[in-house]
Amino acid sequence: MIDVSLNEPGATRSVPRSSKSEVQSAPSLTLAELQDLFQRAVMDGDGAILQSIPGNGRTTSDVLLGVYQYAYRGRLADILGIDHPLLKRHMGNDVFDEMAHAYITAYPSNTPNVRWFARHLPTFLKTTAPYDAHADLSELAELEQALANAFDAADEPVLSLVDLQAVPPDQWAALIFQRHASAARMTSRCNIYECWQALQDEEEPATINEPVVNQELIVWRKDEMSRVRIMTTEEAMAWDEVMRGATFGSLCEMLAVYDAPDTAPMRAAQFLQTWISAELLTTASNKARSS
Amino acid sequence: MTGEKPDYLGFGLGLRPQHYSDILEGSPNVDWFEAISENYMIPGGKPLKMLDQIRDRYPIVLHGVSLSIASTAPFDKDYLANLKSLAERTEPEFVSDHLCWTGVHGVNLHDLLPVPYTEEALEHVVSRVNHVQEYIGRPIALENVSSYVQFEQSQMPEWEFISEMTKRTGCWLVFDVNNVFVSAFNHGFDAQSYIDAIPADRVVQFHLAGHEDQMTHIIDTHDAMVCDEVWDLYRASVRRFGKVSTIIERDDNIPPLKEMVQELTIARDIANEIFSEENLAKGSQRARV
Ligand SMILES: [Fe+2]
Repeated sequence: MIDVSLNEPGATRSVPRSSKSEVQSAPSLTLAELQDLFQRAVMDGDGAILQSIPGNGRTTSDVLLGVYQYAYRGRLADILGIDHPLLKRHMGNDVFDEMAHAYITAYPSNTPNVRWFARHLPTFLKTTAPYDAHADLSELAELEQALANAFDAADEPVLSLVDLQAVPPDQWAALIFQRHASAARMTSRCNIYECWQALQDEEEPATINEPVVNQELIVWRKDEMSRVRIMTTEEAMAWDEVMRGATFGSLCEMLAVYDAPDTAPMRAAQFLQTWISAELLTTASNKARSS
Repeated sequence: MTGEKPDYLGFGLGLRPQHYSDILEGSPNVDWFEAISENYMIPGGKPLKMLDQIRDRYPIVLHGVSLSIASTAPFDKDYLANLKSLAERTEPEFVSDHLCWTGVHGVNLHDLLPVPYTEEALEHVVSRVNHVQEYIGRPIALENVSSYVQFEQSQMPEWEFISEMTKRTGCWLVFDVNNVFVSAFNHGFDAQSYIDAIPADRVVQFHLAGHEDQMTHIIDTHDAMVCDEVWDLYRASVRRFGKVSTIIERDDNIPPLKEMVQELTIARDIANEIFSEENLAKGSQRARV
């Protein structure tokens, strides 16, 4: 058996396998067996498949097989870089590539669409040394994915202020709201928004620090573009409660407990108006009627 | 499955997101576009809107990379369902993918992996093609891929495998001229014999692309202009297969649309010269039907 070094997939080897006639008779293998061996060669550098592959007269079979081995990791690392350009800028090309190769080994693709190959990256960065020591890495990955997910999230109608004006005032308290498919919340343990912004402007990433309170973000799509902004702690709490099914009435009560009771209904109405003009909501319905 | 042969579409390009606005604002001299199916197998948003708008103005072919027709792993049912609904939404001229496999054991290597040309593989591919065609309710087209290795177990040349596959399933063929060139060099076979052996009436599309010469082997990179040798082989292919819808593919180093349109002019000129030389012979007859 010829061993293949995964690190040097293109390296020329001294084993002469230049023509079919020099090769001992090939093992009789089923299609399934050949595919199993070939895949193991591409993913892990296993050399067993080489017994079934002749050289081409100019170069050896392991160089030819190396094209697939090299392409496999190279392609997937490229995809990670394309999907996470700011993370790559933040980490630097070399560190990013090393991380990408570790990710490819830890999470081989099991989706037919490369669009979702990177989906485990935030989890990988959060749980794998040495990346787990830096919250900004997994959070930056999470933010880039949230933006990408918002970009091609399902198309849904958006709730407008006109829709809401049609609701009689006595029914407002019972209203519940549904988020648009593109809307997603994220909580950062550091100043990820500033870091993301600086990287986008091709500046040195902002100094990563851990603020006293978590940074609350909302990501969504408007006019075909993904967006992100910071929410205040109160707005984030209000959004999260409404997404859990709280009615407008109970939102007002909650806000009254959280801060000045007098202005709570006004603050609730303001949040709602902000969300509606941003196109963050898709429907409003009456809780009593819909349940 | 048999079906009516797709219409001749002229000269097109692979649809790339970088070109969306130039296509929609500039009405470039491109007859049709080939869209990568997986790029539009997503829930919604701008890519699907762009596809719909371009579909309103140009014929579209859906070209996938993950059907994995030769894999011994079971079909990914969600993938087939998504492909079917995309086809129903887009109403493409036809749906195509590659004669290859992309992985087994639930893993996808996202590459077009080589098939051993054995009787067993042929029977396997034939039954899978039949299954897909029945499921999506239309014949598919399959493309020859570039390969870097051959298997000792192979019992027939690639062209024989492909000819048998189309004969037994009624599937159409996408004939990638560059891939024939690349594989012919890598495996030392004669590209003209390949062209001569493929049943002419099954070829519904040509692919043209650039590659990278490594001296001992050629890698299909799709990152450069079509080279002279591939243009020569294109000439030979047009002579043999007649009027066949043609595109140029570029997946890396993607230049501005107008440069791609310029390169497409080379294909137009070559083909038109041969058409007029041969007085349109068979090809025009088919186009008038
Ligand atoms: Fe192709």
